[in-house]
Amino acid sequence: MRLIRVAGFLALVLALAAPAFAQGDAACRNLVAPSPFGPTDQTGATNRVTPAVTKAAAAEIQEGKAIPMSYILKDGVPLFGTRFSKTVLTAHSLAPGAAFGENQVTYMEDTWLSQSHVGTHLDGMGHIGIRDCYYNQTQMGKFITQNNITKLGLENLKSFATRGVLVDMVRYYQSANKLRSNPACTKPCLDKGTVISAADLQGALKMTNTTLREGDIVVVHTGWGNLFEQFPKQNAVFNSGEPGPGKDAARWLVEQKVVAVGADTWGVEVLPNEDPKEAFPVHPLLLTNNGIHIIENVRTDLMADEVARTGRATFFFYMSVPRAYGLTGNFVGIDGIR
Amino acid sequence: MKRVAALAICGLVAWAATALAAPDRRWKIGFANLTDDPETKIEATGFTGNLVRDSFVLAARELPVDLVLYDNHGEPHRAIANAETAVRDHVDLFVEYHDDRAANASVAAIMKKAGIPVLAINYPVPGAPLYTADDAAAGRLAGEALGESAVRNWEGHPLLALLVGDWARGDARLVARAAGVRAGLARRLKTLKIVQVEPADLGRVASANPGAKLLVATMSDPLALAAKEALETTGRAVDAVIVSQGLDPSIHGGQSDRREIDPNNRGSIVLGSVAFYLDRYGYEVLPLALAVLRHEPIPPRTVTRHVLVTAGNVWREYPPTDLQ
Repeated sequence: MRLIRVAGFLALVLALAAPAFAQGDAACRNLVAPSPFGPTDQTGATNRVTPAVTKAAAAEIQEGKAIPMSYILKDGVPLFGTRFSKTVLTAHSLAPGAAFGENQVTYMEDTWLSQSHVGTHLDGMGHIGIRDCYYNQTQMGKFITQNNITKLGLENLKSFATRGVLVDMVRYYQSANKLRSNPACTKPCLDKGTVISAADLQGALKMTNTTLREGDIVVVHTGWGNLFEQFPKQNAVFNSGEPGPGKDAARWLVEQKVVAVGADTWGVEVLPNEDPKEAFPVHPLLLTNNGIHIIENVRTDLMADEVARTGRATFFFYMSVPRAYGLTGNFVGIDGIR
Repeated sequence: MKRVAALAICGLVAWAATALAAPDRRWKIGFANLTDDPETKIEATGFTGNLVRDSFVLAARELPVDLVLYDNHGEPHRAIANAETAVRDHVDLFVEYHDDRAANASVAAIMKKAGIPVLAINYPVPGAPLYTADDAAAGRLAGEALGESAVRNWEGHPLLALLVGDWARGDARLVARAAGVRAGLARRLKTLKIVQVEPADLGRVASANPGAKLLVATMSDPLALAAKEALETTGRAVDAVIVSQGLDPSIHGGQSDRREIDPNNRGSIVLGSVAFYLDRYGYEVLPLALAVLRHEPIPPRTVTRHVLVTAGNVWREYPPTDLQ
């Protein structure tokens, strides 16, 4: 009888351990969690955007009204340190005599010299890791070339056509009488360093009677994006920190099985963060360990106005991501369709 | 049987009272800062008082603490007035950061009369636990680093150690730091010549000793940057190594700032700086304050964990906030 019990216990231990041994690079098993989408997955949480999810999200389109949710990328918007984004216009066929043919066709093109994580942009699975361990226990050093990554690139993404949910933290903090704004904001904003907790997110969702469901994209309105809109005047203040979800809120969002988390801030998470000895702790929690995308510098003010006017916080999230091979992220355009 | 059940219920109620009520308790903690002035450098480092205050505000975010802030402006009468105000504000505990011994004694008396526990920062308040920098230990780390660098790179060369500080100020902290540097150097270099120089004299002294390799211990980071410039100007930078103290933002930088100590600047003659973490005092002191309020034992003296920070570990100690 005792032997059977011991054998049963060993079988249970082996059964629990088996998935961990079955996937991921050995060097990364202690640093990064296995993907919830299987040992070969390179896609991440867009796996949750199933046809049923997209179809259900389509029900959010009631008026056909598209609300811009991305900023225009142009000279002067806040960028960090040496990050750059420049365009060079090719327009030589506009010179006298350079038009083509009898029908005098002319053309123009651009050369875009830019880093990918600028303006409103998506963080892909290759963006953040712990040491050289990335999403799905991938030892990234094996998959880096001079030009790109050969695993976890944006080409692996599925659709983002799902339901978006705007969480208006400004309204929530105002209603809870705890809004501490920043004097540089011309509209109410949460100040940098404001830690948004899971309870805060839940409280804000309750204000619009919204319940998150699997496959949603959550967009947090902090008001901090107002500083982006004032570019270049407030670039230094904008970059000096930001309000945002802390680790507790991030863990709760993971439990809700969302596809992505966006905000009107440059890093989505609170900065300075809760522990000064940690760097960007929410990023690995969402991206590296759970495959949940991060969308930075989302323009949220227009949608926040719409939500305040109608009391409905949900919309069809329309975002196109160029599937350029081997990128860690990219500039995106987003519309919220109602 | 009834008695056992009654005892069990009493026990359960008592457990619930402590286990459930305690975490919800919020504490009102007063913090009187040495100075909030963003222009005034404190503790013979490059840190300014506003960074200390900010660290308390940031650390309090995730703690059951309602912070009440006071600014002592570096003035004894303000410190005493702030203590009196804190009593009127009904704080549960008072954190005093002030450098005047007599004023601190008055603050202790005021708080004792009001029954409010006190925690002191860097300067003793009678009867209060002290959180403090350990200047001698920090200096020793700097001295050891210089000594090891010399043994590694310049064995057999004539050596001269230069201790650069505002010695005319007669600051006890500088004296302790310098003694620490001497002790640290002596661990590897028993017969080393050590000279204390004022910042303005460094270039002259370096030029006057053309044959010597220079081990430069600066007492703060602004002095390290100035020393580097002086050595470059006099053409002696190739014969010098600098170890500094403080690790304030002027030397490891923020976004888009100059970063002398940086993984991408490993060739700098500024080998490193011993961290004093004044910008993290709140994260160290508030947990001590909560322990006092919860009647948990804390040592009478808690010292900063000083670490030599170089290009090799600066991003671990101070993670940058830009993803370059």
